[in-house]
Amino acid sequence: MLPRRAWPGECLSAPGARRTSPTRGQLLDFDSYDHDPAIFDEMFVARGAPREHCRAVHEALRSVRRQELETIQERVTRSFSQEGITFTVYGDEEAEERTIPIDCVPRLLRLAEWRELEVGLVQRISALNLFLADVYGDCRIVRDGVIPIDVVFDCPQYRPEMRGVSVPNNAWVAVCGTDIVRTHEGFMVLEDNLRVPSGVSYMIANRKAVKAGLRRLFRTCRVQEVEHYGRLLRQTLTELAPGGRPDPSLALLTPGTWNSAFYEHMFLAQEIGAELVEGQDLLVNDGFVYMRTTAGLRRVDVIYRRVDDDFLDPLVFRRDSLLGVPGLLNAFKRGHVTLANAPGTGVADDKSVYAYVPDMVRYYLAEEPLLKNVDTRLCRRPEDLEYTLDNLEHLVVKRVGESGGHGMLVGPHSTPEERDEFRESLRAAPAEYISQPTLALSRSPCLVDGRAEPRHVDLRPFVLTGAQTRIVPGALCRVALRRGSLVVNSSQGGGGKDLWVVDL
Amino acid sequence: MLSRSAQGVYWMGRYLTRAHHVSHLLELHVQALVDRSVEEIHFGWRRIYRAMKRLPPAGEEWLPEAEELALADSFTLADDLTFERSNPDSVWSSLERGRENARQMRHCISAEMWSCLNLAYLRMRDLETVDIWRTPEAFYGQTCNEIHNFVGIADATMYRGAAWRFMRLGRAIERVQLAVSLILAQTELGRRMKRRTLGWASMLRMHHASEAYSRLYGIEIRPSRVLDLLASDPLLPASVLSSVRAAAAELDAIATGPDAEADAAARRLAGRAGAMILYDWPEARDREELLRRVDRCTRDLHGTVLDAFVDYGIQDAPLR
Repeated sequence: MLPRRAWPGECLSAPGARRTSPTRGQLLDFDSYDHDPAIFDEMFVARGAPREHCRAVHEALRSVRRQELETIQERVTRSFSQEGITFTVYGDEEAEERTIPIDCVPRLLRLAEWRELEVGLVQRISALNLFLADVYGDCRIVRDGVIPIDVVFDCPQYRPEMRGVSVPNNAWVAVCGTDIVRTHEGFMVLEDNLRVPSGVSYMIANRKAVKAGLRRLFRTCRVQEVEHYGRLLRQTLTELAPGGRPDPSLALLTPGTWNSAFYEHMFLAQEIGAELVEGQDLLVNDGFVYMRTTAGLRRVDVIYRRVDDDFLDPLVFRRDSLLGVPGLLNAFKRGHVTLANAPGTGVADDKSVYAYVPDMVRYYLAEEPLLKNVDTRLCRRPEDLEYTLDNLEHLVVKRVGESGGHGMLVGPHSTPEERDEFRESLRAAPAEYISQPTLALSRSPCLVDGRAEPRHVDLRPFVLTGAQTRIVPGALCRVALRRGSLVVNSSQGGGGKDLWVVDL
Repeated sequence: MLSRSAQGVYWMGRYLTRAHHVSHLLELHVQALVDRSVEEIHFGWRRIYRAMKRLPPAGEEWLPEAEELALADSFTLADDLTFERSNPDSVWSSLERGRENARQMRHCISAEMWSCLNLAYLRMRDLETVDIWRTPEAFYGQTCNEIHNFVGIADATMYRGAAWRFMRLGRAIERVQLAVSLILAQTELGRRMKRRTLGWASMLRMHHASEAYSRLYGIEIRPSRVLDLLASDPLLPASVLSSVRAAAAELDAIATGPDAEADAAARRLAGRAGAMILYDWPEARDREELLRRVDRCTRDLHGTVLDAFVDYGIQDAPLR
């Protein structure tokens, strides 16, 4: 039986080293933890009162010496650097390869809560896949007036080239990364990432690093495993092979080493046993896709592509693309190769279309949505534009085509000049903007300068859809490391945390 | 195996072998700075630069005669050979390129190999010559050890597939070229010196051959014997013959490339280079010329290997 108050100090000490009492030295300071009742706190119900499932972790954090926790933090950070777990920042030559700052204090979620989320995510991806099949097929949802025609067909991510195409198992989106936030009102979907969602490798790397530092606590909390993600992804991609071809040949198509997510591409290729290919490695011959190997040309059945639609095939999309493969879309349409995710899925994660996802759930599944959307106003509607202009200082305004926290105004944190600038942009092209209320994203304790301080967090679970939908019980948990900031994107000062789904 | 991946691990092997080679040369040479004569120190620098087919920063005639200046200039030269980014063969440049190839081909090598190499890279990334100059031999020794560790870890952990073969093929081809260049630099410079034996003892150390030489020939250094050992002894791992044979063996272990003609040419070149050392060497009247022919043959081998497995035309390539 493991001791209730087991703590990582025991695994920090080298065998035979003299163990210092955990009560010696300065302990982690929770007294000055800024608990704000208006904001949902992932660990505390009230000041000094941890949630039931967080007690073990809280107790452990309180009894550990600050220095010891900092050592764990440093080790976690160092492990990322040593293992080359990096991302690339564009236009910053000095910091070509950067590591994402990781906070070693995990965020906890009860298994029961996770199960609810999971069911909601499965429902949501089912509706989104049906929507994609529909908008590239009969367009029933548009004809029935559930979604305005211009919202779909004016969307730059709608690909007319995909009309009439069908995909194996109707899985247009094989890999989805849904951004979820929590407030006092519960979980809400902030964004569906349906094109080339990234971050899953950091989920696994965070887990590996934090688990190594907090071994006993990890076991005590009965944390659900996430490391089998690669196996599930392989299974998913295999199920999508053209014509159910057994033992298909898999490839992961990367834009190349300069892509910000190259580490992830390499990591996933290794995890799923796929060749990591660039466009130059592939060619289309007689409608089939081949890769250049040292033994000749080898047929490829499934391509997990991490290249945006625009660059996939210069014969169909951007002609200046050097990242893609001429003829690839034709091979795909003929059913000789599977592309995961299918081209054109971006229409379903457009920020305007997002507002209609609850309606899609009702329309296709005849169910009430289990996961809420954030209340969204489409500035293409005059009344919504007017409301947005009148309330800029309270709203978050997003440009529909942007991602990564760019092209966004966070009203309460903006200056009058910034608001004036956005006002002009809104008036000039209202259809390109949406607005949402500024949410009080939940906060979770982080180790900052030896103290526990609350920081805003979100959650990106990864949903896999092949013959069935699968989700590992974990997620990329992003943290806005700057005090008070709501922006969790890694390119803008965000960091990561390990999410523990605990069976307590 | 993906052709581009094969090319990546091949180059990784080459660059890391080069980084190790230059580190090892510098490790031995900075040791010599402590107690060797100015003549010997200058000879050593000239030999390194000639072997690398590169001029020192201010040209070969720039090396001064005064001892104090020689030591100061040694700092500059070591910097040029160690950390200079614009020198493609400096230790840093080679290590960085080897690591970059490894980064791109991480899925083809073991996680342990990557960690080992990345740690070496991170250690060196923020250093400058001034940081290492108090005990430079320790720095170069550690760099050599790190690359040795990498090779050992590869040996223990890497799957014996095509990636393994191409990595070793790259290392073998690089070793042949480095060894031949160094031997030719020694013989060409040695002819100009009054002391005929100058530099030959250090040539043995550079090829890890001192003990073997002592066992075979005793303590008297004779250039012709050293040359025989370094070029044609099949039992010395760093000899030209051993490296040529290693390249041929790796090539034999790799399945036939899609370009059958280039594939056959590559195998012929590897065999020919080996035969030149094995059969022509003992009776060769102009051994330097023979080594130059081996060098040309190995350079052709490099190009032909890439033609056979990487840059082949797709028209006649087999479909699988």
